[in-house]
Amino acid sequence: MIRRTVSPLLLRAGLRHHIRHRWQALLALVGVMMGVAVVIAVDLANAAASASFAQSASQLRGAATHRLIGSQGYLPQALYTDLFTTPGHPPMAPVISTRVRVEGLPGRFRLIGIDPLAEGSMRRDLSSAISGTDDLRIWLSRPGVAALSTSAADHLGVTIGDSLPIRHQGNPYRLEILAIGVDDSLASRDLLVTDIATAQALSGMRETISHIDLILDAAAEAWLAGRLPASARLLSVNEQTQGIVGLSAAFELNLTAMSLLAMLVGAFLIFNALSLSIVQRRNLLGRLRALGVTGAQIHHLIVAEAMALGIVGTLLGSLLGIALGQGLTTLVAATVSELYYDVPADALQLNAWSLAKGALLGLGGTVLAAWFPATQAARTAPLTTLSRAALEQSTRHRLPRLGIAGAVMMPAGLLLAFVAPGGVIAGFAGLFVVLLGAALLTPLALHLVHGALDRLPIRGVWRMAARDLDRHLSRLGTAGAALMVALAASVGVAVMVESMRSAVGEWLGDLLSADLYIASEAFDDAATLPQSIVTQAPHLAPVSAASYYRNRTLHDGNRRITLVAADLAAQSRTGFDFVAQIDGDLWQRFASGEVLISEPFARRSKLNPGDVLHLPTPAGDAGFPVAAVFRDYASEHGRVFIARPHYLAHWSDTAVNTVALFSDQGAAALLQAVSAQFATEDGLVFTAARAIYDESMAVFDRTFRITEALRLLSLLVAFVGILSALMAVQLERRKEFAVLRALGLTRWQLSQLIVVESALIGVLAALLAIPAGLLMAWVLTAAIQLRAFGWSMPFVLGATPLWSALALGTGAAVLAALYPAWRASMHDPAPQLRED
Amino acid sequence: MLRLCLLLIVVLCACDREAPPGRDTAQTVPIGQGMGIDPDSGFARATLPRAFEFPADHGAHPAYATEWWYFTGNLHTDDDARFGYQLTLFRIGLVPGAAADDSDWRTSQIYMGHLAISDIGQGLHHSRERFSRAAVGLAGAQSDPLRVWLGPWSIDGTPGGTFPIRLKAEDNDIAIALTLERGDRPRVLQGEQGLSRKGAAPGNASYYYSHTRLPTRGEIRIADRHYRISGNSWFDREWSSSALAADQAGWDWFSLHLDDGRDLMFYRMRGKDGVAQRFSSGVLVDAEGTTHALSLDGVKSEPTRTWQDENGVAYPVAWNLSIPQHALELHIEAAFDDQVMRHTVRYWEGAVVVSGSHSGTGYLELSGYAN
Repeated sequence: MIRRTVSPLLLRAGLRHHIRHRWQALLALVGVMMGVAVVIAVDLANAAASASFAQSASQLRGAATHRLIGSQGYLPQALYTDLFTTPGHPPMAPVISTRVRVEGLPGRFRLIGIDPLAEGSMRRDLSSAISGTDDLRIWLSRPGVAALSTSAADHLGVTIGDSLPIRHQGNPYRLEILAIGVDDSLASRDLLVTDIATAQALSGMRETISHIDLILDAAAEAWLAGRLPASARLLSVNEQTQGIVGLSAAFELNLTAMSLLAMLVGAFLIFNALSLSIVQRRNLLGRLRALGVTGAQIHHLIVAEAMALGIVGTLLGSLLGIALGQGLTTLVAATVSELYYDVPADALQLNAWSLAKGALLGLGGTVLAAWFPATQAARTAPLTTLSRAALEQSTRHRLPRLGIAGAVMMPAGLLLAFVAPGGVIAGFAGLFVVLLGAALLTPLALHLVHGALDRLPIRGVWRMAARDLDRHLSRLGTAGAALMVALAASVGVAVMVESMRSAVGEWLGDLLSADLYIASEAFDDAATLPQSIVTQAPHLAPVSAASYYRNRTLHDGNRRITLVAADLAAQSRTGFDFVAQIDGDLWQRFASGEVLISEPFARRSKLNPGDVLHLPTPAGDAGFPVAAVFRDYASEHGRVFIARPHYLAHWSDTAVNTVALFSDQGAAALLQAVSAQFATEDGLVFTAARAIYDESMAVFDRTFRITEALRLLSLLVAFVGILSALMAVQLERRKEFAVLRALGLTRWQLSQLIVVESALIGVLAALLAIPAGLLMAWVLTAAIQLRAFGWSMPFVLGATPLWSALALGTGAAVLAALYPAWRASMHDPAPQLRED
Repeated sequence: MLRLCLLLIVVLCACDREAPPGRDTAQTVPIGQGMGIDPDSGFARATLPRAFEFPADHGAHPAYATEWWYFTGNLHTDDDARFGYQLTLFRIGLVPGAAADDSDWRTSQIYMGHLAISDIGQGLHHSRERFSRAAVGLAGAQSDPLRVWLGPWSIDGTPGGTFPIRLKAEDNDIAIALTLERGDRPRVLQGEQGLSRKGAAPGNASYYYSHTRLPTRGEIRIADRHYRISGNSWFDREWSSSALAADQAGWDWFSLHLDDGRDLMFYRMRGKDGVAQRFSSGVLVDAEGTTHALSLDGVKSEPTRTWQDENGVAYPVAWNLSIPQHALELHIEAAFDDQVMRHTVRYWEGAVVVSGSHSGTGYLELSGYAN
């Protein structure tokens, strides 16, 4: 019996060990706890963000299984009439959806126009509000009545009967609140519901609607397929959700990867703590083996210990994670609100899956981290009280093997990240393999550095410290690797964000070549400029040149394309940075009807200059040769530039969304002239290029605030981990220190030795972390960003991340040494020596 | 749909525009709860006989709150499988006057449609309901040629003489496609030259005319079974802005095709005490097309059997109708009992068989029982 299981006696022996080394156990616990906490916190925040996405999508979709959309962004209302009056039509409901501003409030509100008589079983939640009014009669017949959710009413501070002034593309409109109590999900805070007639009136969508929602089975889908014009596209709910959540998925994946990184660091810490506890117990374990305890039992014991550590750490980590998740949710919500729409920050909901994931990682990671040390311990020979020297010897023997493993893993990881199929997941998997490889190489690197230091003419404590590095490789190697991974992650993310920021900044700077931009306040497809502005603005006195832009969202299957019909002044043409282009006069080709496509779009559609791009026009698909691919961070869906005369020919649409003006007299004079001329025009914004640039960069920074927060968080985990690991190592050496004191080392010298040794680890780990971090940044920018968003960016290396890694590594290491140094120097060496 | 139904009921009752009997079906609303006629509703009221003009009067009269095109009939196949059918398109005015013109979708009118097929052989009643606003061509009515439609459900007249009229309606597993000929009967103006009084208050009346016997042929479908059928239809047209008086509970309405060629319509205004009121009236059309007005005094009506639906509501599904002046002693019995229209408004409307002194077929409508 005793041979198979872990006996209570053994467990007690293990427990005693940990009670005696409670500091160490506590610090290992902190490692697990922090790792689990970060994973759970990020997961909860992610879940909250996607829940509000999904909720808003399903709220607006209701029971619909499909949505009919127009390839031009809208549908003729006659299509709905045709379908509705055809025998055998499936349940369907017409919808006009748009965005409006509420007077005096920041942000935009979604406005959905529905036909309650067509809603039926489609969107009970929305129609319920209208029944709440007890008056369908008013809803249908009176212009301007609206319903909203209780949370939206609270948010807006309105009640039934109130009048709500709104603006649609700058045009003022008044809504009368008829009902409060549309479905009260979190996502409805920015939702206004009106009759479809009111929505059409205020949005100016003459004879058109936004989409038709349908409930289709296979037969109904077939019925519909034969009746749709070429310009209409049927999307299933899944395809739709993909579109909505697509952007957020990349964002979410980024966060998840960061949390897993924290977990990886956490696992290193656990590994470190357990390895250390085995090294410490080698005598005890040897004696146990001599007493007849089997290797398997020892293995079980260590794993059981790890399990206990994992359970306690996971429990505490879960609590911490929930608390942390609260803060993180606020950050995620802020980012989502920035990028998409208003999400309340208090959206955190505990979900079992997030907690389970954290627990799985916490326990699994701990056991996995313990497996190798446990196997080592199980191999302890009976009675052989392996000497420290022999232990370090065997560690050094293993170094080449570890080094080879690391050396193989790094290129393998790169291959995975850059070449393997599998999208963003493969990218991140590759990144982890690279990091793991770097971690495995760390002890070897420390050993080699020791060799180099040994040849330097340094003396005294410094020389001792350098030699100790190698003598304690079994302990310091792991701690150093953990510190290295944490610092590398920090460097990698910082460099990536910096590269991206610089790329976006440069791109924006080029793009915003004009002095002043005139656009409608609403900034969407339908927000076109009054014709008077388009014709008059270029003729104002200070204007030397003008460019015109028309943005149009096209749907081709479930591919979304922003088509930009541009009439470009020569100055605007310099704003393009071409990644690839066809030979010959590019602008000549553009003028002749060839198109310029953005890099993400080129990648996604596998199009190169010279290929032909097919776009859905009102007259059916038309082919456009691709002249060039330009760098673009505006949209991951992709943008296509077409010369305006060719756009007019195919789409017969003369609208303009933006006019860019150039002047020799500077932006201020231009702004003055434009403002004076168009003072009476409502709902227009005149923005100097500089202001757009600043605003865009502010948005960029706000978007990456969450990334920054996570970087700091993983650094914190690493810091605590390093602190615990190094402290444990130094505390464990009390006897050795006593011997050194007894041999004549002064208190001051001993303290110095400990601090210098620790600092050396810190500096070395940081130095190793810099190339590893840069490698990681390279993988992030060149492989993962490309896989996730389709855009490439030049690699920008700033000194700050490097310095901060160095400072942080050394700082953490020195800080970790202070207590052991103080303790070692304060203690009388005699009792320590007598102990054994 | 439930909420929507509630809504509609609210619409129907909130503006006190409860339609008069004869053909109104909006009786599951709390009628009889003191809802009188609201002379200030803004809708026109039927107070005096009018000069009907055709085909103009086949079309909609949006000045009035409610209006319907009501078809019922008994049909059979060559091998005598028997069916009843009902197709009714209701126009409901939400507010008087034209709608704002801010959007194509804006309207002051909505349409409600009821379609039912009674499979007499199987004893199964299939019914459907649909709604739409009268905008962007989803639903509406025109007079020349007659065309009333609600989505794919349509009543189509023929240019010139209106007849033949084609009815088309389907909803998943039931469908009708019928052609109704003019036949040899004249158009019958009900009440006083088409002004049909339903209560004591002035304006509590409707304009009401009927085509009592329209030879009908065509096809009906139940699930995937198609039946070629023929028979006779009854077409009622009525519009008004009136409601039941406070003491009225509902009505029992008969439309019968007797085998001797005579057509009989009689509605029985029922007070809350269950007794037939003096506003009950009817008409007998003989085979030559001559009409004879019927009043409560000349008609003795007596329920002989009731049937209870799942809610315990008892409907009088068998009657004795006695009209001594015309030597009619009729026994009227539901072709089968459960022909309840379980929709926004709940009522019993179904095929009946006539026996007694004369045989025949017909339709019976029982309203005001379900509340």
